[in-house]
Amino acid sequence: MPREKINLNIDVSTVVVQGREVKLPFLKCEASVDVIRCEKLTDVIEKEEPVRGFIEVDVRDSEGRVVQRGRHEMRSFVNNLLRMLEGFMRAVGGVALEFWGVVASTTVIALDGSSQTTWIERYAPDSYYGGGTPMALKAGDNDDSYGIIVGSGTTTVTLDQYSLASKIPHGTGAGQLDYDPVTVEDLGLDTSVSPPVYRLRVIRAFKNLSGGDVSISEVGLVARAYWKDSGGLRQDIKYLIARDVLPTSYTVPNGGSATVAVTVEVVLG
Amino acid sequence: MRARTKIRAEVILEVDGREVYRGPSSSFVTNFSKLLLGMLSAPGNTAIGSSGAIASTTVTDTDGLSKTVWTEWYASGTYRGGGTPMAMGAPDNDSSFGVVVGSGTTPVSPSDYNPSSLIPHGTSTGQLDYEPHTVTSSYSSTSSYVEISRSFVNRSGADVIVREVGLISRSYWKDLSAVRQDIKYLIARDVLPNPILIPNLSSLTVRYRISLSL
Repeated sequence: MPREKINLNIDVSTVVVQGREVKLPFLKCEASVDVIRCEKLTDVIEKEEPVRGFIEVDVRDSEGRVVQRGRHEMRSFVNNLLRMLEGFMRAVGGVALEFWGVVASTTVIALDGSSQTTWIERYAPDSYYGGGTPMALKAGDNDDSYGIIVGSGTTTVTLDQYSLASKIPHGTGAGQLDYDPVTVEDLGLDTSVSPPVYRLRVIRAFKNLSGGDVSISEVGLVARAYWKDSGGLRQDIKYLIARDVLPTSYTVPNGGSATVAVTVEVVLG
Repeated sequence: MRARTKIRAEVILEVDGREVYRGPSSSFVTNFSKLLLGMLSAPGNTAIGSSGAIASTTVTDTDGLSKTVWTEWYASGTYRGGGTPMAMGAPDNDSSFGVVVGSGTTPVSPSDYNPSSLIPHGTSTGQLDYEPHTVTSSYSSTSSYVEISRSFVNRSGADVIVREVGLISRSYWKDLSAVRQDIKYLIARDVLPNPILIPNLSSLTVRYRISLSL
């Protein structure tokens, strides 16, 4: 009697080893009446996430002395980041010189909660100076509408969030902070770790000129899609791409400052 | 209460609709980081009358050359200016960008700028017919994903073996006078643990899936 062979692909569930979540290996198995032979297709031990990060907060008093400092795992990219990635996947490039219009777009949830079509690839009509950028973060001085923003909310993060729970606005009034410009640093490739990572850091300082203490308990990254030509500003949409509720609230004393640094690590092959 | 979102990248291969491989994609290369850096470095508040490159980054293109990629750019005294810093949706029969496949087995390195041995589009020996891309997505408050997929049909008359997959992006900026920038650069590459055999007249589908979950 011929042996009947059955092909099995087994995706075994997650286990916890020494407190770390681990996937058991994928197995490709061949089963007959009296034997099951398996070979390992690949290790799917939960590899490092492809993109991760951490947030550092440094609080100083009016004399420049450190009064509170912490470093926390970045935990919370939100759907808008994926929605932008979807837009990049849809963009084609390579249009004819005569072409104008929108070739690729995606839908993000803007800071006000409205659903907005955001251009990824766009060409101006018969106007000069056409162009733009789909995901800018480098906000200028006093601009609390994008870049790194901070808040006092503690609402639990969900993927569909589009704003901080309670943003601390720019200003010098009670409950406000003076927003400095955003800087972006290229920290480069680190091959001393395995797997290697490429790090970039986004930094913003906030001065407290409000006359009282101001507490920070959430940090957000807000990006901006900006397209214009000589006929005018054609698109200006700001959208949240990450929000973190900090495990510790940071209190910025009057006259002091807080510097928030978000380091993003791309884990490389 | 603090939650934690997880990012996962997967590569999935199907031959004639049957899944033959699914595993984590562990292979973003340095170019991807550079593009992210360039985009986040853009200010995006340029005056209406300004022109030129406001933000840029440096990548290694698929020829191995160091190139400056614009991430915020405006045409000068010419109509119909614009573009995109990162396009992946290559059209039918175009193996120069988008999802690509190869036969090389060189281990992935952060400095990779091309598949080690690209299988080109075509119907001759050792070639595959590259189809257009499909993008799908799903979003919810707890679990979301976006996926780019491409099929490759073997019309070569013989078996073709795939050992690596890659994702090549394109920066393209133009105005009415000329193409001002057209740069293709590898952003991800995966070497498969086992070769995938594509029989003549069979179809391979490669899917890159990025997911977020709570």
